[in-house]
Amino acid sequence: MAVVNKADVVIIGAGIIGCATAYYLTKRGKSVIVLEASDNIGNGGSSRNGGGVRQSGRDPRELPLAMYGIKELWPGLSEELGVDCEYHKEGNLRLGKTDKHLEILEGLTKRANACGLDVRMVNADEVKKINPHLSDEVIGASWCPTDGHANPMITTLAFYRKARMSGARFITGEPIKTLRRVKGRVKEVIAESKNVYEGEYVMVAAGYESRKILETVGVDVPMHQELMECLVTEAQQKMFPQMLGTAEADFYGHQSDHGSFVFGGSSGIEMNNKDIGPKNSPGNSAITAPCICRGIMKYFPELEDAKIVRTWAGYIDICQDGVPVLGFVDDVPGLVVACAFSGHGFGIAPAVGEQMARLITDGRTTVDISGLRYGRFKAKI
Amino acid sequence: MKRYEVIVVGAGPSGLSAAIEAAKRGLKVIVFDENEKPGGQLFKQIHKFFGSKKHHAKIRGFKIGENLLEEANYAGVEVALNATVIGLYADKEVVVRRNDQVFHYKGDCIIIATGAAENMVTFPGWTLPGVIGAGAAQTMMNLHGIKPGKKVLMLGSGNVGLVVSFQLLQAGCEVVALVDAAPQIGGYGVHAAKLSRTGVPFYLSHTIAKAHGEDCVTGVTICEVDSQFKLIAGTEKYFDVDTICMAVGLSPMSQLLKMSGCLMEDNPKRGGQVPIIDEFGETSVPGIFAAGDVSGIEEASSAMIEGRMAGVCVAEYLGYCTHEEKNESLAELKKDLESLRQGMFAPANRGKKITKTEEGIEISDSLLKNGFVAEQEIERYPGVVHKSGIHPVIECTQNIPCNPCQDACPKGCISIGENITNLPVVEDENVCINCGMCVASCSGQAIFLVDEDCGDGSATVTIPYEFLPIPEVGEKGFGLGRNGERLCEATVVSVKSVKAFDHTNLLTMRVPKEYAMSARFYAS
Amino acid sequence: MNTIVDRTKDIGEFIPQPDDDMLICRCEEVTKGEIRRAVHDGMWTITEIRRYLRTGMGLCQGQTCARLVKGIVARELGISMAELEPAAARSPMRPIEMKVLGNEEVTDLWQ
Repeated sequence: MAVVNKADVVIIGAGIIGCATAYYLTKRGKSVIVLEASDNIGNGGSSRNGGGVRQSGRDPRELPLAMYGIKELWPGLSEELGVDCEYHKEGNLRLGKTDKHLEILEGLTKRANACGLDVRMVNADEVKKINPHLSDEVIGASWCPTDGHANPMITTLAFYRKARMSGARFITGEPIKTLRRVKGRVKEVIAESKNVYEGEYVMVAAGYESRKILETVGVDVPMHQELMECLVTEAQQKMFPQMLGTAEADFYGHQSDHGSFVFGGSSGIEMNNKDIGPKNSPGNSAITAPCICRGIMKYFPELEDAKIVRTWAGYIDICQDGVPVLGFVDDVPGLVVACAFSGHGFGIAPAVGEQMARLITDGRTTVDISGLRYGRFKAKI
Repeated sequence: MKRYEVIVVGAGPSGLSAAIEAAKRGLKVIVFDENEKPGGQLFKQIHKFFGSKKHHAKIRGFKIGENLLEEANYAGVEVALNATVIGLYADKEVVVRRNDQVFHYKGDCIIIATGAAENMVTFPGWTLPGVIGAGAAQTMMNLHGIKPGKKVLMLGSGNVGLVVSFQLLQAGCEVVALVDAAPQIGGYGVHAAKLSRTGVPFYLSHTIAKAHGEDCVTGVTICEVDSQFKLIAGTEKYFDVDTICMAVGLSPMSQLLKMSGCLMEDNPKRGGQVPIIDEFGETSVPGIFAAGDVSGIEEASSAMIEGRMAGVCVAEYLGYCTHEEKNESLAELKKDLESLRQGMFAPANRGKKITKTEEGIEISDSLLKNGFVAEQEIERYPGVVHKSGIHPVIECTQNIPCNPCQDACPKGCISIGENITNLPVVEDENVCINCGMCVASCSGQAIFLVDEDCGDGSATVTIPYEFLPIPEVGEKGFGLGRNGERLCEATVVSVKSVKAFDHTNLLTMRVPKEYAMSARFYAS
Repeated sequence: MNTIVDRTKDIGEFIPQPDDDMLICRCEEVTKGEIRRAVHDGMWTITEIRRYLRTGMGLCQGQTCARLVKGIVARELGISMAELEPAAARSPMRPIEMKVLGNEEVTDLWQ
């Protein structure tokens, strides 16, 4: 038994981070076991997000990862994985309706420019040229032409499929209880079923659940979770290819290849939402979807007759400072952390997976992720 | 947000029954239904129901619907139509679409009675226009007055398939065949016999191999299947049809229960994904109940009782009746439900092969395989007797919970006894007065009045007749056998339609006396 | 449900069948062959099949095909239909126009 459950790397969490890391590890010749608590691959935020593949609007600490992914990985991803991930690199508009909004957008733009990203402010006329369907209420936007979107469900499953084909062993329905150190190194992963898995490296990429798992080896990632919601319309005529967001964060989303619009948003009470959904499938609140609809219609009046066919909810694991915790933990050898993506992990997932695989095999990354290290949290004074 | 003590979702038989019981006890109740008319499936049911007198036996389904609505109005139930429940959220919050707006309601209790949806099976061509559900066919015919097609093949020999096939005939469609992959007929034998005697052929151990047509159905090929349900090459049969009806079961529409966090199970015996409920319909979430098909596929009569049970339970839950009162009501309802769940078709007997009746009489093999009781088999049943003069002949050969015939006869010629599933017995001593009440009362159309020897070499046979046009007295046609075969010439000697017969016409035909015990239908 | 499933378990080769081109999910136009292929690609749950192929994600929300898809996946995996957890139930139960869903009755929600 012990022999069978042994691999070079054991990854906890078969979300897109776990699946992508598993894929890039197998590509580098490593044996991998991926353990998933739920019955489904990619059951958390990986399948529940709005599909943004953005650089704009990101914190400078994670921007290098986003830029690296969009330059090096996303363009060839569908071909590499053998599944159409529906990636489109046709820009991101972050919309504003008031002067206050424009101020926010200008701030974000300046910070991104400083990191070498091509983002610029566009006025009402320019916005209309990029997207003629927008309402006249929009007075300006930030525009990042190299941003885009992809299908998160398919991308996640495509990484899983390819990793599985390359020999990664995925086990679902296996929630993890503890990690165990062997002679000073995190090595064993003990499941609630009492099954034991052993790896030279153990990567924890289990979303919010990571916190409980990490504490068994004395590591704590300061994060909380919020229940966010998305909705999808029936297929519409092809309208526009950009990824959208707003300065006010009313909603975000895009039109998928299928023709449906996928929009995410909030009601404002997410922090305290109740979740009555069954296990593995968080429940929606009664007031969020109507609120998202009102938000969308203010920007896209012509979508008012589009029928909503489905809504869903998903937890995001929000880090204390809004960016993920990635990499080794000093003094806890064998452990790799990749969690607290704070609601914007999908777009950087291929880059995270690829860099984590490098970190585990080469001992270092090629992209600077030092700003995302575990040890960064300090008191405010 | 408006608050009700009870929110019922679905104004079908179980939902309305639940609402009635709750409102009767003083609760403020609203029922939401997405349709423009209440009643669920009841208003599509133009046939007479089985059961006991207490449970609407011999009353037609739509009339039961009307009665229920009247009872609901009287009890003060608010029924909101064109009101689509789009979600059931935390703390029993219900969001409803009404016209161009959505409304939030809060229920202290929720009763989900959303019913079921039709299953489909696939075969090449199953997505062609013209392939429809049997329930859809019923909606077209009986609610909208539209003939689903001219020539129809029915797949599925359960009660739905049998009943809808008969209604298709009544609507003037030709039913070219009734097909089922199972080796024997699934529904009531009396329903099958009604079809057989009109000439509809049954193909058991057969399934659809292919629907033909480019833009719509123009024909169908069926094929025999082996015991593993695999098609047997070389057994194909082709029919010219424009419609294929599927009556292959129902699946509970339990999504609202699932989304509200009720524990669910996948239970093939109950038709699919159903909530885990107690005996009286309460789910794992206190105050949320389920009643009717949504908690397990049965039929309307039991759905109504389940609804009443849930209604009583919410009344007690919210303090409108005592625990003792609740238990008393429930005990009685439970007894009613149990009486309906008896006999050979009881849920407990599903999947079992039953070879003998409760009386120990062998079941007709021909009935199960061909849809009619063979001539050499019919004499073994207690309703089939020979007497001089007019007398009832009851071709009721399976134990089903139904007994209106016993009360229908003013002379006590028919007895079933205490046990509602007993086969009816024709009493020897009592004398039939040819009133016809028994014929009209039999929901299975299995009772005939026969004068085996009129003295002139002829016999008369009175049959229930629910087709249009009604043959004229004096008309000459043919007496058909149980299998629909033309046996002999027949003359219509009388057609009686009185109010008490409730739209069942009694057609009396004169046939040569040797056909007295075999002519069971008339065709002009 | 959460039963432990090792996704490396051998379910045999994908063997083409004559009716693989038959439509199963008519809203999203997914064929039997695509569903069977997806199982061999590792999509072993109804939820994964939905996310991978969009079965049951159309206007009817799987009312017609859910049972059919389940049967195909179960057969491919060699398990019983009841062992496959059905997909989550999601509001709205019926498709609803954005302008209607956004048009709520205005009251205090928590009155």
